[in-house]
Amino acid sequence: MSAAVQVIDGELDRLEGLWSDGLSDSYRVYLESVGGFEPDVQPRLALAAALIEVGVRLQGLGGGAAAPTTLLMGDLCLARGSRLLADHAPLAVQVAFARAIEVVAAAAAAHQPAPATRQLLQQSLGAAN
Amino acid sequence: MSHRRLEFASAHPTEFVDITERVRDEIRGCGLRNGRVYLQSLHTTVGIAVNENEPLLLRDFEGLLERLAPAGAGYEHDDFARRFDIPLDEPVNGHAHCRQLLLSAFATLMVEDGELVLGRWQSVFAVELDGPRERHLAMQVEGEFAASHVPAIPESLVELELARQLMVDPEPVAAPMRRLVEAGGKRLRPKLVQLTAGVGPRSEPLRAAELAAAVELLHNATLIHDDYVDESTHRRGRPTVAAAEGPERAIAVGDYYFAKATRLIAEMGHPGVTSAVAEALEAVCASQIDDVALRGAYPGDRESYMRVVRGKTASLFAAACASGAMLSEAPPEVVRALRRFGELLGTAFQMADDLVDFSPSSGKPVGLDIRQRVLSLPLIYAAEDRVVGPEVRALLAGSLGDAQVGRVAELVTSSDALPRVRAEARELVDEAVGELEAVDLDGLRPTLVGLARSAVDRIS
Repeated sequence: MSAAVQVIDGELDRLEGLWSDGLSDSYRVYLESVGGFEPDVQPRLALAAALIEVGVRLQGLGGGAAAPTTLLMGDLCLARGSRLLADHAPLAVQVAFARAIEVVAAAAAAHQPAPATRQLLQQSLGAAN
Repeated sequence: MSHRRLEFASAHPTEFVDITERVRDEIRGCGLRNGRVYLQSLHTTVGIAVNENEPLLLRDFEGLLERLAPAGAGYEHDDFARRFDIPLDEPVNGHAHCRQLLLSAFATLMVEDGELVLGRWQSVFAVELDGPRERHLAMQVEGEFAASHVPAIPESLVELELARQLMVDPEPVAAPMRRLVEAGGKRLRPKLVQLTAGVGPRSEPLRAAELAAAVELLHNATLIHDDYVDESTHRRGRPTVAAAEGPERAIAVGDYYFAKATRLIAEMGHPGVTSAVAEALEAVCASQIDDVALRGAYPGDRESYMRVVRGKTASLFAAACASGAMLSEAPPEVVRALRRFGELLGTAFQMADDLVDFSPSSGKPVGLDIRQRVLSLPLIYAAEDRVVGPEVRALLAGSLGDAQVGRVAELVTSSDALPRVRAEARELVDEAVGELEAVDLDGLRPTLVGLARSAVDRIS
């Protein structure tokens, strides 16, 4: 089992079902954006970004509100993604991710279109450069 | 001179409630070094006594009171036909008043070198003569106080910081959060941050207030989502964000402040603090999923309850205590002790909060938790009770209208569930206080002890 797979396995508690429901695809996309980080950090940051993207989607942010249980899954995705960032990302990246969520949430609250979440998060991963 | 009120709840018609430790805590909390403590019962059927806390002796005392003033011995006070202006809930308690005449309603206790002066076998009792009831004693302390016994907690700094942060946010998210923040709340988590941020060598009130405000915003963000999940219509006496502005807005506001609070904490530049709070938030979210899942087997069992409460409530209390201490660069053993203190206090706090649902004097509608099938330890204990359990379980298995909720509340109140939970909460606070004994807290201990006791005794 590769180190990356071990990392992912350890971080999917309660969220296993999401892996085959879009989380793995998002993870692979973000993996291409983390090449500038240390190798052992790369899977964690890619997973953090993927969790946040999926979390925002699950919650229905900017669209119809998610059902309560789905919202809670989304909350856990966001919280786990944030914890991964807190433990492994440079400060600038942590701040950029938080700001990205603020932008999307503020737009949703104002019923205005928000920039694409994936684009914002990919830019956030580049904040350390 | 300093004054305060001691509150307690009795569990029996006649009961010797040992308040010695409560009085000691109050003395420590106010920093009295040498002087006197005055205690006064605020009831005509509660006395005060100093004697030995030996269970058989206490039964002897009860027997003595019963012989001297037997219940139902034809007291004129109980002849309602001859009295005027009798309240509807006037009890038949002539015997209790007469018994109180045999005791004292007052006590003066000496304090030397910060310690209550008591003989080896002496304890201080509030003597309930007409329980079970919620009771109050007045307490005044006078004498020499330690010069700086209570660290100044600039609570207003947190309020200013909250206002400052909300001022710069877009109005669609700021307005609902402002309403929630301005509606009050106990602010226990920010208080814990501020207090513990004074324990280490790097004590900076402004930074502590920034962290405290961020933790409060994070807590409120979780409440906004919880209210949607629980279908709650009101919080702190005002409509919830979900009820007032719809679930879409509630989700967006919760997410915005979840992100903003984590950013504010990250920007403080202390990785340990950032990780501690992030870890707690993950535990909160995971436990919220467990909480909702458990509603299928409502009311659940104690083990499941404790697992959910540790994550949902205790983890943020623990993080508040640990992060404040870390911010002040307190030694690791102090951070560990405060984290454990916060965890135990948070659990006790949640148990006390459960009791509020059964307290008509709390200001909240009785039985709201039952109606919303919220995990509740008194309900778990009542459901396990041999006498009331079968009916409680049967009622909870069906739909819960006003009559059913009222009946469940009655059954819980008639069982020993409430005193059992209250005692358990107090034991946890004792354990939490014990965690503080082995570490140097630079004079903070009495304040933390006072905060812990008051957080749990608020409904008893």
